[in-house]
Amino acid sequence: MVEFRIKRFDGSRSYWQSFEVPLKKGMTVLEGLLYIKENLDSTLAFRYSCRMAVCGSCAMKINGRPRLACETQIAALKSDKITIEPLDNFIVIKDLVTEFEGFFKKHERVKPYLIRDDISYESPVELIQTPEELKAYYDFTLCLKCGACYSVCPAAATRDILGPAAITAAYRFCMDSRDRGEDKRVDVILSDDGAWRCHFAAECSEVCPKNINPAKAVQKMRVKAAIKGIKRIFRW
Amino acid sequence: MSMKVQHDIVIVGAGLAGMRAAIAAAEKSNKLSIAIIAKTYPIRCHSVCAEGGTAAVLREDDSFDLHAWDTIKGSDFLADQDAVEFFVREMPKEILRLDNWGCPWSRREDGRIAQRAFGGHSVNRTVFAADRTGFHEVHTLYERMLMYDNVERYNEYFMTNLVIEDGTVKGVSAIELKTGELVFFEAKAVILATGGAGRLYGFTTYSYQVTGDGMAIAYRCGVPLKDMEFFQFHPTGLVPSGILISEAARGEGGHLKNKLGERFMAKYAPKMMEIAPRDIVARAMWREILEGRGFESEHGPYIALDLTHLGEEKINERLPLIRDAAIKFVGIDPVEEPIPVRPVAHYTMGGIHTNMWTETPIKGLYAAGEVACVSIHGANRLGSNSTAECLVFGRVAGERAAEYAMNAKDNHIPDSFVKEEETRIYDKLLGHSGDESPYQIKRELNETMDKNVWIFRDEKGLKEAVKKIRELKERYKNVEVRDTSKRFNMDLQSTIEIGYMLDLAEVVATGALLRTESRGAHYRIDYPYRDDKNWLKHTLAYYTSEGPVFDYTPVKITKWQPVERKY
Amino acid sequence: MGVSGWFRGVSPYGLAFSLHRITGIILLIYLCMHLTYLTSLTDKTGKTYETLISITVTPTFLPFDILLVLCGLYHGLNGLRLIVHEFGFAYEQRKAILAASVIITIAAWLYVSYVMYKIVVGG
Repeated sequence: MVEFRIKRFDGSRSYWQSFEVPLKKGMTVLEGLLYIKENLDSTLAFRYSCRMAVCGSCAMKINGRPRLACETQIAALKSDKITIEPLDNFIVIKDLVTEFEGFFKKHERVKPYLIRDDISYESPVELIQTPEELKAYYDFTLCLKCGACYSVCPAAATRDILGPAAITAAYRFCMDSRDRGEDKRVDVILSDDGAWRCHFAAECSEVCPKNINPAKAVQKMRVKAAIKGIKRIFRW
Repeated sequence: MSMKVQHDIVIVGAGLAGMRAAIAAAEKSNKLSIAIIAKTYPIRCHSVCAEGGTAAVLREDDSFDLHAWDTIKGSDFLADQDAVEFFVREMPKEILRLDNWGCPWSRREDGRIAQRAFGGHSVNRTVFAADRTGFHEVHTLYERMLMYDNVERYNEYFMTNLVIEDGTVKGVSAIELKTGELVFFEAKAVILATGGAGRLYGFTTYSYQVTGDGMAIAYRCGVPLKDMEFFQFHPTGLVPSGILISEAARGEGGHLKNKLGERFMAKYAPKMMEIAPRDIVARAMWREILEGRGFESEHGPYIALDLTHLGEEKINERLPLIRDAAIKFVGIDPVEEPIPVRPVAHYTMGGIHTNMWTETPIKGLYAAGEVACVSIHGANRLGSNSTAECLVFGRVAGERAAEYAMNAKDNHIPDSFVKEEETRIYDKLLGHSGDESPYQIKRELNETMDKNVWIFRDEKGLKEAVKKIRELKERYKNVEVRDTSKRFNMDLQSTIEIGYMLDLAEVVATGALLRTESRGAHYRIDYPYRDDKNWLKHTLAYYTSEGPVFDYTPVKITKWQPVERKY
Repeated sequence: MGVSGWFRGVSPYGLAFSLHRITGIILLIYLCMHLTYLTSLTDKTGKTYETLISITVTPTFLPFDILLVLCGLYHGLNGLRLIVHEFGFAYEQRKAILAASVIITIAAWLYVSYVMYKIVVGG
């Protein structure tokens, strides 16, 4: 038996609730939560979908660190008390469900799409990209937008910032050999809540479930954008 | 009174097909107001789980006729050939468009898009992005969709009903999960792209959220469902979670071995071996298990998928996700040891009856993707053809809906309907006290489907399944929704989803009982042969309150006459 | 979450960040004290300043000064580490660079503390 201690929120008050979950070999935290929902208390709300760590729905704080519940083995936590809370730095809607509209709006602000004016919708033509060029940005395409990085960023604790995920998305496109849109992304990166808010606590890289190293992307993107910004001043 | 929102087009479902439709409609005209509603955020859709790839004719060594023939033969000749011919000709452009929109396709040394071998395809035509193709396609489409100002996203809106009056669609009703309030979308055209119905089964590759919402609602509103008895069982599901181990593992050279160490596929498909079509491999594996040659484990029997001879470099380059999944979810590294796998419920060949232009019998209502049955997959789908279908028919649905909407008048949902839906959801379901747990009903449904409507079916088992499903439907009338609040009520959502699944299960089981032949993925032990004389036709199921009523419609044949299906 | 969110880091880099903030705050407080201290020189005689010095440059205050020097050295050397990384360099070597900066901080601190000790306590 394992104790799941969950921080709950019903819209007005926050409280802790404990459940006893029977532990089976190989059981994940998500399976534990589903056991609670289907057998003990079906009012518990939490996001989940793919259960194979590709959709990013189930990011939550488990024993103090943000993880994907579906790929966290209860046994690997080496404790018979599992503390589960919603992600930090996000507004809680209910129980473990947090507000993600803002997170996705920030992603949208960096123009995270291939920008190029010589492509045709009606008659598309293959763009050439060597395996080396693909490797230069591929790791950064694996971002699930799970929110774990944003939840541990100390800068995000006191201010609504662009955040590691959004800046990593910008970098992913700036490093894609097919993209021609770096200029269009510079302003949002250099904005008040952009790359300058990073002070390299690098906690984001520590918790990323896909080991993308957002901290690296932010520094590299900062440098790229800053160089463009400086050039602009002189060309003015 | 609940809120009403007006749009020209409403797309339900933000997976590959739904997002491709949104882009296509927006490209048609930037004056159209397009809403895309989904019960999860778009990038959390089930399409992200797709792994292996997307098939298209790109190079000189391939031809449209060959891709069409592979697909039609793979479908055990139940596919409508005119639709297949159209489909294969539209695919190459979709691959190139995704490339133009930033999809990180895996490349050949010369920088051109790479293609790999896949089950049932006679040429290497499966385009891929490592083994996370669905993931990358979804993110690419989502990011591209952000560019269109006239596409408005309604995230975490759970559809509860379609509004249909005089054979024309008027809109959609949905619950905004955050507040629990009902919102009524008035639309000229509606596209359903809500995906398949895999969670009918217990051992399945599907995400938890794939509960057949669009199919069930359309069915209840009088739209027929086609070929629902054809459910694909993918050969390699990871034991015990059911997580998909992509066909690419076999495409790249993996071997299937029984407990005697034999590559048993030599007995069943000597030419194609492990990359024969899925229904053939799944039946072969299940037969080995039934005849006692499977490995035993505490999670049931399994077959070994051996990748050890491929080498670490190839696995890391082409199959990184499945290596990660095997290590994380089973604790086995495929570089060192074989992975335990077993056939798993994977794809719904059946769905909402549409023609080649994604039109349903209801005016203004379109369906695309896994939720629809055109049919291009017939009785068995070839790997890497589903992501392809979503792209091609998503585009068709978007364009058709756009054309229709540009020439249609605004629609209004009558207040009487609003009141009826509010009563149905808030009075009859939310806070409904009863003595049945919806989750217990779901468990029993899964058990029945896994046992009696699985790979090998027979009359006795199917009759039992139909009887059990009817019993569960009766019990469902007494179901309890414990969560009485409106705010993000997942209890209510789950309960409604279980209701959808019960309706669909009845159609699947009854359809399987009536089809007295074996074709593609539907195999009857008591009728083990294909019967073209009596059964070369599509099953259509219509809703009545006493259960589904069946009709049949012929298969469209253009070039290829049915032959024996051997590999 | 507020300011407590600044100090939640548990990785070496997160801890280094927390310490950077704390030492920064301490140095800021010290800067204000130091400026007040120096403002005393405006009395043109130097008498107030000399009095203050005779109180604070003593063995009783030495431990505080030594801790202050640690804060200053840490903040400065860690700052150099941050400059290197924030210019986009050596991300892959971040563990080694953090270790090096901590080791140099401690080594320099021990030396400087020894020198201060000799000046204040003598012998």
